[in-house]
Amino acid sequence: MIRLIGYSATLFSLAAAVYGVIAAIWGVRSKRQDILASVRAAAYATFGLMLVANLAMVYALVTKDFSISYVAQVGSHATPFGIAVISLWSALEGSILFWGLVLAFCAAAVAWLHRDERSDMFAVTNGVMLVVGAFFYMLMVGPANPFGAVFPVPMDGPGPNPLLQNHWLMAVHPPLLYLGYVGMTVPFAFAIGALMSRQTDERWLWLTRRWTLMAWAFLTAGIVSGMWWSYEVLGWGGYWAWDPVENASLLPWLTATAFIHSAMVQERRGMLKTWNVTLIIATFLLTILGTFLTRSGILTSVHAFAGGDIGYYFLIFMGIMLLGSLALLAGRSEELRTTGSLDSPASRETVFLLNNMILAAFTFTVLLGTLFPLVAEAARGVRVTVGEPFFNRMTLPLAVTLLFLMGVGPALPWGRPSAKHYRKLILPASVAAISALVAVLLGAGLMATLGFAFAGFAITTNAAEFLLGAGARRRALGESPLVALSRLVKANPRRFGGYTAHLGILVMALGIVASSEFTLDHEVTLGPRETATVGAYTVRFDDIWGRQEPHRFVVAAELAVFMGDRRVATLEPRLNYYEMSDQPITTPAVRSRAHEDLYITLLAFERDGSSTTLRVMVEPLLVWIWIGGIIMFVGAGIAFTYRGPKDGKSKPRAPGVPVKGKVAQAGQAAGRVRAADKEEVPA
Amino acid sequence: MSWKRAGIAMLVGIPLLMLLAWGMVRGDPRIIPSPLIDQPAPDFELPVMAPARTPDGEDVTGEVVRLSDHLGEVVVLNFYASWCVPCRIEHPALVRTAARYRDRGVQFYGVVYQDTPQAIRTYLRQMGAKGYPSLLDPGQRVAIDWGLAGVPETFIVGKDGRISKKIFSAVTEQELVTEIERLLAEPSPAAAPASTPEVSF
Amino acid sequence: MNKRFIGVFGTVLVLTGFGYLIWGGLGGSLVYFVTPTELLARGEAAYETPVRLAGNVVPGSVNWNARELDLRFHLSDGETDIEVWSKGAPPAMFQDTMGVVVEGRYNRAGIFESSSVMVRHSNEYKAPPEGHRPADTYEALIREE
Repeated sequence: MIRLIGYSATLFSLAAAVYGVIAAIWGVRSKRQDILASVRAAAYATFGLMLVANLAMVYALVTKDFSISYVAQVGSHATPFGIAVISLWSALEGSILFWGLVLAFCAAAVAWLHRDERSDMFAVTNGVMLVVGAFFYMLMVGPANPFGAVFPVPMDGPGPNPLLQNHWLMAVHPPLLYLGYVGMTVPFAFAIGALMSRQTDERWLWLTRRWTLMAWAFLTAGIVSGMWWSYEVLGWGGYWAWDPVENASLLPWLTATAFIHSAMVQERRGMLKTWNVTLIIATFLLTILGTFLTRSGILTSVHAFAGGDIGYYFLIFMGIMLLGSLALLAGRSEELRTTGSLDSPASRETVFLLNNMILAAFTFTVLLGTLFPLVAEAARGVRVTVGEPFFNRMTLPLAVTLLFLMGVGPALPWGRPSAKHYRKLILPASVAAISALVAVLLGAGLMATLGFAFAGFAITTNAAEFLLGAGARRRALGESPLVALSRLVKANPRRFGGYTAHLGILVMALGIVASSEFTLDHEVTLGPRETATVGAYTVRFDDIWGRQEPHRFVVAAELAVFMGDRRVATLEPRLNYYEMSDQPITTPAVRSRAHEDLYITLLAFERDGSSTTLRVMVEPLLVWIWIGGIIMFVGAGIAFTYRGPKDGKSKPRAPGVPVKGKVAQAGQAAGRVRAADKEEVPA
Repeated sequence: MSWKRAGIAMLVGIPLLMLLAWGMVRGDPRIIPSPLIDQPAPDFELPVMAPARTPDGEDVTGEVVRLSDHLGEVVVLNFYASWCVPCRIEHPALVRTAARYRDRGVQFYGVVYQDTPQAIRTYLRQMGAKGYPSLLDPGQRVAIDWGLAGVPETFIVGKDGRISKKIFSAVTEQELVTEIERLLAEPSPAAAPASTPEVSF
Repeated sequence: MNKRFIGVFGTVLVLTGFGYLIWGGLGGSLVYFVTPTELLARGEAAYETPVRLAGNVVPGSVNWNARELDLRFHLSDGETDIEVWSKGAPPAMFQDTMGVVVEGRYNRAGIFESSSVMVRHSNEYKAPPEGHRPADTYEALIREE
């Protein structure tokens, strides 16, 4: 019964999406608004149907209905309620189903928000959303059908992938990533809508700005939560291994980041129109490529995902989207002509251009390194892996340059800089010099030294924007420092949201550089009551025990941690043995402090408990990587609150259009701050 | 972007797509190519599992299957376990193909991989309790000899006693039929296998 | 014309430099993926080059000295086997017949010196064989609560 409900819901979603696409084409050609209204109705319908299908699956998972293929694959009687619910996204078919839900939500939201618009651009946009939707519903109906029948019905199933059960981060990582991936479909659909309807001014950028920011924020959160999970669960002490599946999520993030910056150049100066459209198309295609790489199993990855025919579908879809978009871009070259130019090589525009070039190079390098094993095998028939050294050597200089640009950008104005702007760089430059000196004294390598210097530099310029702005407000308006700061941010959320996101990534960079440059790493075997000293910590092996838990068997070592003579913690690194899985999952014990993490994994032990082998690592500033990630998310959230001068239903900019009340207020506030900004502030 | 630039972009895009397509066709990279293909199949002697526990509490019938006894015949060897989902999917295809070739000199065997006779009996009952004999592989010795990475894996051995094909994951009837027909069409290796040593110089 | 020439020239220069860097970077950090048979078939080239060696652990060959953090075992692809020596603990639940990938180099003494031992995670879940449930294996560690 549930199987029937679920399957029919996916089938009807496919039908609704296909109808919507046809109706969009028909409606635009015949200029009939009633037909275009039915396109929106189709979008709402897919959302309703996807909701039904997803709820049906969750119900089946919770009630352990093993006659449904997906439940037979990931369910088990021993699975607790909460984990049964989140196993919706623990394997391919369920992930696609959940993906379909998020996509249908986006399509319905786009249709609803712009339901009063009569321009072709919106009709095409709705159509594109439904095209992408139709592809995913087609997967659900055919090759990745989660509602397949299993006969004879098994008594029990294997339960979800043990990695999913091991840590709460695994519950949030996939949905965050999907929200990011799927969210990128919206700006893509608008870009195609703008191109098809020849409305290639800045309007589509304004309309999609918040969608892009939201998708970017979720993608960031998805990647960072994946790193965090990898650190907390996989037990190798790191968080990023340049694995194909990790790279697959980084690629669209890089192009989306480039897009967020270059879109501002187009808004300000009418430049980079083709580039922006290309970037957003690339971002969308890279999300599909990422899913393809993850799910087709064509590259060797530590993340074991079953391969299958589904890859072909993704490939064909990607091919059609790529060729179609390129043809459309070429056909609209006239409309995409640049209308502005650069005033000065030292302006903020230039920094944005450089930032885009570097992000493009970064994307290319990661893509090449990821796909190179495939090239080598195709060309020479050898199996190779591209080692971490390649990625590190190639991307670190690019990353360091980005840090530098993040420091220069906020200091330079749009247009032409004056001497005042250059003077602003004196303090940050001295901070950079001091950071570099300290790094060298601590014995850091060249790249790490540059990393520290530029991160210090950029943190100073970005933080200075907050301090100078708030200080000026405080003096001009007599506000208390905190009020001044929050009003400053509120008055100009876009700008200060951006600076916040920068601060986040800079803090993260500090954490990455410090923890990879100054890690202590020791493997030791200890007998009972024996100790080992690593850094400031002395670790004593007290006991080892095993315990049968409902769905796993746990072996844990009990360790006492001392700093000097003071006992500071008891850590219990574990090995979890899940049923139906031949591999235990290492669970490290981590003691996180602001200045460093103590990270211990249980590598091996004697069956009689007479000894245990541990890996003990001390990683400075590591926790700041996660804090940085959270700050980035918050920064995107702040920028998201800015609605833009031409939000939603407003008309495209035309001379003489009166500015709306709310917008005028925002403009005044910004103007006031800018006026205040002009006062000389002693550095 | 003009048509010329779009052309250049496509020159980059199309090979990329072709590369990915090739990656799909080439198969799973995690699978290490078996060095056993076209090599003489490692011989084994395995006990046949009893369909039900015998009155003396034995799990085996007492019969023993030796691969070398089947020289001159096509042998299909399917490694499986009751806890594996793809095994359930492929089982009907194997049973049907086995029935189809029963009288044409094609021998099917299942080899139990890391499982208990009891669980296997329940599984086979669920799957219809039809088909071909299952062999027990205590200590997974044969699985190691044959370089097994997981289940299901299916090997097809030709009349000459060489492994002609290894199929990872669920096998389809089509795959089996194509390979068996090809092997049946090949001439039997120099009459009776027993005579082979005498041919040497 | 001059401006355009400089632009084109600069772009080509940057791209060439970048391409050269990438090419050099790739060449230096490729790690080949081979089976023992393939490794030995390389002859002289087999020695002292970094590779990833894949195969199954030969039963009964594992020798792990926890005190010295010294792990030795044989790795086989069903045809050839090679002795592997690793400094460091084996991956958890490392056992006979398991499929593993070791990264390292083959030395003149005919021993593969490995810097890391990775378990090839199988796609399908495997049931522990009878009598090998962790609770039975590590009975001695279970405490009465």
